Amino acid sequence: MEIEQVDFVTVPTRDPERARAFYHETLELPLDPNNEREVTAGQVTLAFWEPESDGIEFSANGGGIALRVPDVAAARAELEAKGVEFAGTEDSGVCHMAFCTDPDGNTVILHRRYAPYG
Amino acid sequence: MADLGVERADFVAIPVQDLQRADEFYGKTLGLDRNPNSSERWVEYELGNVTLALVSPEAMGPDFRTEGHQMPIGLRVADVAAARAKLEAEGVEFQHETIDSGVCHLARFSDPDGNRLQLHRRYAPYRDGSSP
Repeated sequence: MEIEQVDFVTVPTRDPERARAFYHETLELPLDPNNEREVTAGQVTLAFWEPESDGIEFSANGGGIALRVPDVAAARAELEAKGVEFAGTEDSGVCHMAFCTDPDGNTVILHRRYAPYG
Repeated sequence: MADLGVERADFVAIPVQDLQRADEFYGKTLGLDRNPNSSERWVEYELGNVTLALVSPEAMGPDFRTEGHQMPIGLRVADVAAARAKLEAEGVEFQHETIDSGVCHLARFSDPDGNRLQLHRRYAPYRDGSSP
């Protein structure tokens, strides 16, 4: 079996319109040209899904999607000015990561690796 | 105001309780390419367009707990039925019959930590006539 690529990552939500507004307007991710109910984070499509409409209990994703930005501190400041709250910024030794949540409580990570690869 | 400047998704974090078990599942069962820069505490798999990062107690500390997240990741395969049969032969359980959405086939399963995954193949062309 060959897995070719990730076609989409699903963002669980209780309010797809609110979620789409956050990812499109606040995070400034473009709408997917093939499906305006989805957004694209560069090479990956983010699809919104209401688990409760499928009879599945909603549970926010704590793992997180790491979005590459040129400057984590600047991007964090810009989002904070829009009212997004951050849990903190970490320096892992190879990258900066700032952790926030979308309106449903799903983890979103602003990420920038500054160390060269091995 | 300057653009936020999101360039791409660098990785999707997969929370796992047992790093070794997850490593075997993503590497051997799903047959994904392991990033050679992986370490004993941080393991990544490369899927062509995005990295899956296994986030474990080894990386986050012994108090790290996960019950598996609900953020299904759609994995593109050439043939959903064939890929499903292959995984079932290796003991992977699927939660439903394969779904035909009208534009794609979807088969839902989970990794050993309960993280949701989907085998996915779109068969209908997009509105502009192109195909994935």
